[in-house]
Amino acid sequence: MGRKLTFEIFRYQPLDTAATPHMQTFELEEHPSMTLFIALNQIREEQDASLQFDFCCRAGICGSCGMVINGRPGLACHTQTCDLPDHITLHPLPVFKLLGDLSVDTGTWFRNVGKRIESWIHTDKAFDPAAQEERMDNELATKIFELDRCIECGCCIAACGTARMREDFLGATAINRLARFYIDPRDNRTPADFYDLIGDDRGVFGCMGLLACDNVCPKKLPLQDQLGIMRRMVTLESVRGILPEWIRSKLQGCGCNHTAN
Amino acid sequence: MRIFQSDILCIGAGLAGERVAVEAAQAGFKVICLTVVPPRRSHSSAAMGGMQAALGNSIMGDGDSPEIHFKDTVKGSDWGCDQEVARLFSQTAPIAMREMAWMGVPWSRVVPGEHTYYKGGKPFQATEKAENEGLIHSRAFGGTAKWRTCYTSDGTGHAVLFTLDNRLLQLGVDVHDRMQAEMLVHDGVRCMGCVARDLRNGELVGYFAKATLIATGGYGRIYRATTNAVICDGGGQIAALETGVVPLGNMEAVQFHPTGTVPTDILVTEGCRGDGGTLLDVNEYRFMPDYEPEKAELASRDVVSRRMTEHMRKGFGVKSPYGEHLWLDIRHLGEKHITTNLREVYDISTHFLGVNPVHQLIPVRPTQHYSMGGVRINKDGHAYGLEGLFAAGEAACWDLHGFNRLGGNSLAETVVSGRIVGAKVVEFLQGYEVTFSTQNLRDTAMKLEARITKIKHGTGDDCYTLRNAMQDTMMEYVGIFRNGKDLQTGVDKLQEILDRCQNMRLRGRPTAGPNAELSMALRVSGMVKLALCTAYGALMRTESRGAHAREDYPERNDKDWLVRTLAYWKDGDSLPTLKYEPATPFFILPPGDRGYGGGKIIPGKPLTDDQLVPFVQQA
Amino acid sequence: MTPRSPADIRSRLDAWQALSGACLALFVCVHLILEGPEVLSPSLTDAIGWLLEATFAAQIAAPLIVLLILFHFWIAARKMPFRSGELKIFVDHSKALNDPDTWLWLVQVFTAVIILAGAFFHVYTVMTDMPISVAETTKRLHNGWLLFHVIFLPCVILHTGIGIWRLAVKFGYCSKTARETWRRRIWVGMGCYLLLGALALTRAWCQG
Repeated sequence: MGRKLTFEIFRYQPLDTAATPHMQTFELEEHPSMTLFIALNQIREEQDASLQFDFCCRAGICGSCGMVINGRPGLACHTQTCDLPDHITLHPLPVFKLLGDLSVDTGTWFRNVGKRIESWIHTDKAFDPAAQEERMDNELATKIFELDRCIECGCCIAACGTARMREDFLGATAINRLARFYIDPRDNRTPADFYDLIGDDRGVFGCMGLLACDNVCPKKLPLQDQLGIMRRMVTLESVRGILPEWIRSKLQGCGCNHTAN
Repeated sequence: MRIFQSDILCIGAGLAGERVAVEAAQAGFKVICLTVVPPRRSHSSAAMGGMQAALGNSIMGDGDSPEIHFKDTVKGSDWGCDQEVARLFSQTAPIAMREMAWMGVPWSRVVPGEHTYYKGGKPFQATEKAENEGLIHSRAFGGTAKWRTCYTSDGTGHAVLFTLDNRLLQLGVDVHDRMQAEMLVHDGVRCMGCVARDLRNGELVGYFAKATLIATGGYGRIYRATTNAVICDGGGQIAALETGVVPLGNMEAVQFHPTGTVPTDILVTEGCRGDGGTLLDVNEYRFMPDYEPEKAELASRDVVSRRMTEHMRKGFGVKSPYGEHLWLDIRHLGEKHITTNLREVYDISTHFLGVNPVHQLIPVRPTQHYSMGGVRINKDGHAYGLEGLFAAGEAACWDLHGFNRLGGNSLAETVVSGRIVGAKVVEFLQGYEVTFSTQNLRDTAMKLEARITKIKHGTGDDCYTLRNAMQDTMMEYVGIFRNGKDLQTGVDKLQEILDRCQNMRLRGRPTAGPNAELSMALRVSGMVKLALCTAYGALMRTESRGAHAREDYPERNDKDWLVRTLAYWKDGDSLPTLKYEPATPFFILPPGDRGYGGGKIIPGKPLTDDQLVPFVQQA
Repeated sequence: MTPRSPADIRSRLDAWQALSGACLALFVCVHLILEGPEVLSPSLTDAIGWLLEATFAAQIAAPLIVLLILFHFWIAARKMPFRSGELKIFVDHSKALNDPDTWLWLVQVFTAVIILAGAFFHVYTVMTDMPISVAETTKRLHNGWLLFHVIFLPCVILHTGIGIWRLAVKFGYCSKTARETWRRRIWVGMGCYLLLGALALTRAWCQG
């Protein structure tokens, strides 16, 4: 016999005019290796078929199932119930538009952000099918991939105090994405270009260094480090012509391969 | 009803769908992508291992060529593939990989100098060439003569998907996510788009398009133990099958992956074994070399899966509350290797199993993994039966994989076939005009509406009960080892389940907004039809080939079965209508022994000269 | 060079905030260290006070610091939860998340308000009660200013300590791997300053 788990789950269907937001309680017997994915599906299939939530890969790779678990944003599929107390409270991620119960619209949010930060390689080179690929140092490739690991689950946004208060804040995930392009030699954007994209309080200066993004990231990405690198780069860009060049280049040292041009 | 119009409608926005979309958008056509989840959440992202392409940059891939890649693919398919397609694929793959590098994929690169690699659990030294420094590197995957799997650490699918999606953003392609394509709009000759259900609010939405592409991935969810994502329910195949005129090819060809974890069925990559991981039994004895002395753990997937099942049947499985399993051992690769190159594996083991692979064994068992079958298309990606309908990726039966696909070939197929089919779609669209029939669209929408109303008023079983019954039937009777008696039982049971689907009911009260239960309910009867195509096709195919292993017909029969099954579904029937076509238009590599897997072969008629062509016949 | 976006001036605010914050932090550290000798010998403190006065350093610096505080507050206030509902959202968020660094930001906001008011009074009284001497301080403390200092001093130390921590984190000088070391050092530093301040206050109080 496993523990008896009590789930307190946020329920609300915004499109249902008769509905009001409330918490609903479900009880479930715990089994070994039970994850929230297993538990929520069991609740839906056996107790209340109207419960809405999102899962996709159920392996912590696709980022669909971000939700607030006992107050902290996290991926439901890789949260094992044995790591949680008997009483489990589940809320949808804040900031994102609520679709129903635990399901939120991260897709639209991330698409808009992707367009805002122009999340693609900016290059003038055309692809030549006959040519060998451009060479790249493996260490750099690994570094780019490390930043590319973000699965866009939205947990860092939900945990961010700034994002909670200011709707238009880009958040750690977007800055991290740009940091990925910043170190990619295939992208020919200069610090001035990045400055134009994120050099204000809606961008990198909105970050207050609260570190929650870092603390909740399911992929353990060094988000705050990237925010720091980008902030320094953009700040130094904002004082170009004011601060002497030699100080600027000294401060620029951020461990990435871009020169302070 | 909201109606959208575009030149091309991509149903599914994983790697294949997005690659086609990129090709069409680059050519200036208006593209709309429909997807049930935001594109970056597609199951393509979960593919960790890599993409096969004969670049030959790494020392262990030295001397590789498209021809060798082609041969590996044909052997892997157990001669079930279309050799013209396999040649096209192996020739295009290197270009497609380089193109992805240009788009921004951070492929792992060659580092010159001496490195320690693993083969069959044993370390050895190899020196990467200095002149290849910085070119795309490759790793080992099962069933290949050379190391040719391009990769980005252990997140290849993720990295390539994000890169492609970035390109879509750049090209300004419209993406309609949380949109479930339900039925194709067609007049029996031409496909004109689809009717979809908006998962945000349940509204029906119409899509008109000159060309419609199905790229919805596999249908693994017809099995209970599957590595596939919960969205891999075969939606695209169902829509195509229900037209009655488009056949599904080789639905009985279902691949089981040797290393699905227990109990969560999450896949750990073949890279584990490629890098030197070994399989152990209950006595922690490495048994694979006994069965496959040469390739051991690196034989092709169907062989490894079958050997594992065979070994467990002999009583060497590890008993657990979730059924029997075996062990995967990667401890000897060391903490550094496991936490960097195989980090995703490390994460999965610790997060989902509570196992630390640096010190502990990982419980694994063969688990449904890949659908070789799908919407039958020709080499240009055009579906049989309907003009303007295309398919690509796992959803399609292009037929690159035949009866068994090689690890790393499917992920490569997505971008390679996406590139080829995309170009052909562009060619098709140039100068193609079609009159969209609003009557057809309305009729289709009404049919769908009627289906929804029927479910809302049903009184029988709920969709979860029926889905579970189907999944259990498939596991029990249409699994790795198959025989006539079991398959017949399976078919009978599935027919009965299909009948029960007629009176399906909803358990929850239907309200405005998203309704996951209704979305599932709308899928179940279609999934049962796919299951029937699989089970019935397997029953009729009285031979063993690749992943299709019949205990009562253990030989590969090239005399009678060097053919592809085509399954049609006539409206109102309870069984598919099966037709057959030759597996390949010509032979470059005549049928022979794969070199692994054992098994007898019943040879076919000797090939005539005009059936045989050289590899380098055309570009 | 590409033309600047209109966001230009606003984006420099962040640099100004960081710079003014760093200057103020430096000032607070020096100020408190100068209080240190009081623990050992009040006459030494008097000597330092005399020196600062005689060179007019105090008379010039004090109003400048007040202006700098105003400037720093004015810039940083754009981040403060002044708009309707923002404070409630943030407090609820902190409660649910229960993450120390999120809580610390609220501490930062509240201490900022206290410091803004307190610094003005502090400077005003010191400047109007010249010369700077331990005796004057003692007199003030016994006149009811003790409570002010007991509140004001920890606020200043907390705000400065957290501020330095944030600066290092926000600009990437304190990376993930070094974070725990930094955190420990800053808390120890704040503790030392608090102890120093408390000793100095006690000493000054006992002089009377």
